Amino acid sequence: MAEQGIASGGPYDNAASYPRIVAIFMGICLVAQYLMPGANNAPSEIPEHASKESIGRAMALLGIFLTYLIATDYLGYQIATPVMIFSIMVLCGEKKLLRNIVFAIVSSLVVAFVFEKLLKVVLPGGIFQIHIPW
Amino acid sequence: MIVDSLILGFGQFLTPLGLGFTAAGILIGLIIGVLPGLGPLMGIILLLPVATSFPPIPALGLLISVFVGGSCGGSVSAILLRIPGTPLAAATLLDGYPMAKNGRAGDAIGLAISASAIGGLFGGVVLVLLSPVLADFAANFAPPEFATLAVTGLLAIALVSEGSLLKGLVTGAFGLLLATIGTDGFSTGYRFTFGSANMLDGFHIVAIVVGLFAVSEMAFQIMDKDLTKAPKVEVVFPGFNSVIKVFAHWKNLLVSSTIGAFFGALPGAGGVISSFAAYAVAKSYSPDRDQFGNGAEGGVVAPESANNATVGGTLVPTLALGIPGDAASAMLLGAILILGYIPGPVLFEQQPEIVGGIFLVYLAANVFLLFVGILATPLFVYVLRIPKSYLIPIVLVLCCLGVYSVQASVFDLFVMFGFGLIGILLRIYRYPLSPIVIGVILGPLLENNFRRSLLISQDGYWIFLERPVSAILIIVNVLIIVGYIWKTLRDSKRNKQILEENA
Repeated sequence: MAEQGIASGGPYDNAASYPRIVAIFMGICLVAQYLMPGANNAPSEIPEHASKESIGRAMALLGIFLTYLIATDYLGYQIATPVMIFSIMVLCGEKKLLRNIVFAIVSSLVVAFVFEKLLKVVLPGGIFQIHIPW
Repeated sequence: MIVDSLILGFGQFLTPLGLGFTAAGILIGLIIGVLPGLGPLMGIILLLPVATSFPPIPALGLLISVFVGGSCGGSVSAILLRIPGTPLAAATLLDGYPMAKNGRAGDAIGLAISASAIGGLFGGVVLVLLSPVLADFAANFAPPEFATLAVTGLLAIALVSEGSLLKGLVTGAFGLLLATIGTDGFSTGYRFTFGSANMLDGFHIVAIVVGLFAVSEMAFQIMDKDLTKAPKVEVVFPGFNSVIKVFAHWKNLLVSSTIGAFFGALPGAGGVISSFAAYAVAKSYSPDRDQFGNGAEGGVVAPESANNATVGGTLVPTLALGIPGDAASAMLLGAILILGYIPGPVLFEQQPEIVGGIFLVYLAANVFLLFVGILATPLFVYVLRIPKSYLIPIVLVLCCLGVYSVQASVFDLFVMFGFGLIGILLRIYRYPLSPIVIGVILGPLLENNFRRSLLISQDGYWIFLERPVSAILIIVNVLIIVGYIWKTLRDSKRNKQILEENA
């Protein structure tokens, strides 16, 4: 901000003053939290029964989700979404493959219909530019 | 003024889209509320991008009715499964589940829905009568009052957040900092954009909230056991005679609704506190107090009427002052801003038709809740049978499309993912998420009024103490912080003494 000339001056020009005050306040709270006994004793939200397996499942979910976000941009919604839904169902322990495939394809088509046809949202087409002419 | 607003609002609300969206919102809200782990906030988050592409009153009708329906829906799973669909229904299961075990599941659900609708209507009356008065009072506010009011709102949310006040303040300040990213409204300079054109307008609130709440929630949900198992629940059919049964508890209904509306109007207090408070009060004066906990009808009426009255109460500061009472009303406030209106006294002065439309939408949502809730109960039972293995991927797809549809930006999807990771970390270390949302929403209000105050001030920061309302609010804020420090130190000393005595 200094090179733009907005890190000093009066309240109109100084755009750095307010975030600086907030950051200092945040820092004071963080320090106080570690100094004050009893202010930091709430238990974690991870379920008590969480095993290494369930934590791994959560990590895998985030991995699949991140891959989906990248793939949607390149391959398009119509290809990436059924694959993502199917993968998460398998991750959750659904073993009936045919039912998973049918659910993944049908649900992604239904959601696409709602957004593209009813809400007029153009979903990412990817490099193949796949758009269903509803 | 109130009557004029309502008359003008009729024109906005009485359209096929207005009525249809309000009814649809109730059904969607109830379904989302029924599903354990989801709730009114999640419903509003998922529908916000869709709603804001429609005219203002139908859009707000959809979101407000999701808030109303979602606040009631959690009671169905609390009664049938002993799992509250939302934390709001935690007090309902104390008597709702025993009623279901005694073969009165239909009665319990009917009572819960009827009490919610009537409590909600009571909250609506409070909203219609109180918010114009508060807006009229706030019409004389200048930048120093709005700046200190924003700080009070943030402090109140932090105070009642899970964890501790300090953690709430840390995340609230984090939200305020997030709100500073982008182009500065005064100097038009760029702050924290790192040279990226995508960040010139900062992070979109929808991407932040969906990431923090929905993505992190799915990561926690997938850690549960038995993701493929569907709960075995019998279909139940409550009847409209439950409305008559609820009125047999009229005193409980009135007291609990008053408690709910009162707690709702206090920023930060919310439905969970009000429902437990109403339950405790109802138990204290009920002639059947021995039955509480074993299936007393009053034990269902009290929390349900209170938590839905809270919705009306929480809309009072949201609409009249632009200060949201909780994360869900912060999202509603965000929706009003996205639709191009600024909540607060100006809205009441310049757009009375929008204010009247919101009043009508809220009142109608509670009437629809009664009919849709009772008629659609069998559907909710079927929804409860959907295993999480089907829900998690669909919620994630809806998160992506909801965020993407706001401004067709892939960058927003990655922002959502990033905030999903931040949400997970904060929840692991028990930092509350709601103050972040309130901070992001209140950030521009606080900064603009803070800097405007300094611009008009002759004495620098003293302007905040020279004006009476601002000075009172500062004193209240200081008292809250001093009280918290004193209580924390006292508790810590007491715990130390107990440990020493036991050793």
